[in-house]
Amino acid sequence: MRSSTSYNLWLIAPAALMVGLFFLYPLFFSLYSAITTDEGGLTLAHLEKAFELYSNDILFTIIIVLASVVLLAILSISIAALITLSPFRSIVSLLGFIYRIPLFIPFIVTAQMMRTFLAKNGLMNNAFIASGMLTPLETVSFLGWSGIIIVFVWKQLAFCTLLITGAMAALDESQIRAARNLGASRLRILFQIMLPQITPTIGVAMILSTVTIMSVLSVPLMIGTGTPTMIATDMAFRINSYGDYHVANALGLVSYLICAGLAWFYLRQSLKDKGAI
Amino acid sequence: MTHLLIENLHASYGDKVILNNINLAVAQGEMIALLGPSGCGKTTLLNALCGFMPIQSGCISIGDRKISTLAAEKRNITMVFQSYALWPHMTVSQNIGYGLKVQKVERAEIETRVNELLSIVNLEGLQDEKVTALSGGQRQRVALARALAIRPDVLVLDEPLSNLDAKVRLNVRHEIKALQKKLGFTSLIVTHDQEEALVMADRIAVLNQGQIEQLGTPEEIYHQPKTAFVADFMGANNKLTFSSLASLQQQISLSSLTQSKMQPSFSNKSTPYQVFFRSEDVGLTTLSQDHPKLHNETDAIRILGDVQQSAFLGGSYQISVRCGKHTIQADHHENLLEGTPVTLCVPAGALHIF
Ligand SMILES: Nc1ncnc2c1ncn2[C@@H]1O[C@H](COP(=O)(O)OP(=O)(O)OP(=O)(O)O)[C@@H](O)[C@H]1O
Ligand SMILES: [Mg+2]
Repeated sequence: MRSSTSYNLWLIAPAALMVGLFFLYPLFFSLYSAITTDEGGLTLAHLEKAFELYSNDILFTIIIVLASVVLLAILSISIAALITLSPFRSIVSLLGFIYRIPLFIPFIVTAQMMRTFLAKNGLMNNAFIASGMLTPLETVSFLGWSGIIIVFVWKQLAFCTLLITGAMAALDESQIRAARNLGASRLRILFQIMLPQITPTIGVAMILSTVTIMSVLSVPLMIGTGTPTMIATDMAFRINSYGDYHVANALGLVSYLICAGLAWFYLRQSLKDKGAI
Repeated sequence: MTHLLIENLHASYGDKVILNNINLAVAQGEMIALLGPSGCGKTTLLNALCGFMPIQSGCISIGDRKISTLAAEKRNITMVFQSYALWPHMTVSQNIGYGLKVQKVERAEIETRVNELLSIVNLEGLQDEKVTALSGGQRQRVALARALAIRPDVLVLDEPLSNLDAKVRLNVRHEIKALQKKLGFTSLIVTHDQEEALVMADRIAVLNQGQIEQLGTPEEIYHQPKTAFVADFMGANNKLTFSSLASLQQQISLSSLTQSKMQPSFSNKSTPYQVFFRSEDVGLTTLSQDHPKLHNETDAIRILGDVQQSAFLGGSYQISVRCGKHTIQADHHENLLEGTPVTLCVPAGALHIF
């Protein structure tokens, strides 16, 4: 018995070592660096400095993340529901194909594409002008916070919809039929039968999207207007221009906390749904 | 009085015709069993009734209300599924009361009705239980109560007992039948267990390849099958073929044939005669064929053979007897050794000839 346990330990040792060396060690090192001086003493100075310089950007990031996640949730659930419940099968199969396209386009390309699309004299406004809906003077640029949100939603929508459609399709078809022949409309079935059963998946999709949104550099750089900007940009700036790893790591810590905050909200919510609280 | 009427119903998946001209009239309060082999279209018929799949042509009506063009949620037909299809995020009483909630019935009234249903299906005290905490039999009773809660015009049950183990199945079977008698709901139940159909149904419709082969009371279906398929499906699975009427008459007199419940047209048909009978109707003896005792009964088919296999069934033995190119199953009170020569004797009254 004993020997087989130690044998098993040896079996997982290489994997554990890899995880420790390349994942846990850098993670803890960056956290550690955020709250220590070069000499190794504990300090809050880096965090203070980060807040002093970048509190606007932190707020901006939180707003962008929340707005994107809310929009993502609404849109991806709507599309998934259309795909699963709509009686118009042929339109739906087309939709089911189109929504996946953004999955295969990198963020930087999306940002570039959207830049030419959303600018004041970009494709979108030109189309509005050509169709006579706007005059050149009335056009506004969507570059800036709204553009950032649009790009994130555009890019992440496919991923979220894919997860949510999968979860909806995995529900037993007869559960939905049972509700239908009791007289429930499709909308009611969506809210009362399907969504309560797939909240875990929706939560996972939103948290993974948050983490992605927090870490993408190209979008705030290309679509944003400079100030305020997102935390990721500030971190890159701290490192590239000043070699200031401490403040960069302090900003990293703030990013973790934002993600952790959302994760906590989600966990609390899902426990509440299970009636544990 | 006809309650549910299905006329000339056709339905298909793609090019594959699944239901081919189904006609069925169900009286108020009647329970019809749909019986047939796997893939014959039983579930498809229920789905078409409930509006879960489009039909190609035909008409379904309840009373004078034509429902075949209505959406599923407007038909007032509810289904009990083989997989129960309960909603795991709701309690027992939420599941049962859902249909009433959809109809915007008042809370207090829903509660009274749910309690009533809970006692009807013997689930008192479990109303706040999560459905995932229930046994299979309990779950199916919740599903039944849920389907009955809105007082549907027709209740359809798709193999409601197939996921239950044998003993629970017998219990729930009796409960459903008793409930149906008490509440008088009109229902269609799908099964591929002939015994279940015989016990539960007022009438049985035997389906084969998307068509109703025969519709009748359990006694009619059992004793007077109209086609070879029905005879075979209802357990008369011993089959002999005779190439001509003459060869059949060597065994059995024409008068007794016409007296028995055979097809009227049998005397002038060209295909070989197929004779079906049940293993319980086969008399088996180890006496030699010309033993005088065997000739007491004149109108019977007599066949010689030898024992191939013998299986203990509890009450009796099922003996497989090899007779030339046929193998015949016979019930017998004692075990016989392999190779024992035997004589089989099937009375004319037990034969179904096609
Ligand atoms: N969604 C579907 N798409 C295409 N063909 C289908 C579909 N569902 C069923 N069929 C076909 O329709 C035929 C009838 O199926 P159905 O489910 O009605 O059989 P059944 O009588 O209920 O059988 P079982 O006793 O196995 O449940 C089968 O040949 C099956 O292959
Ligand atoms: Mg079926």
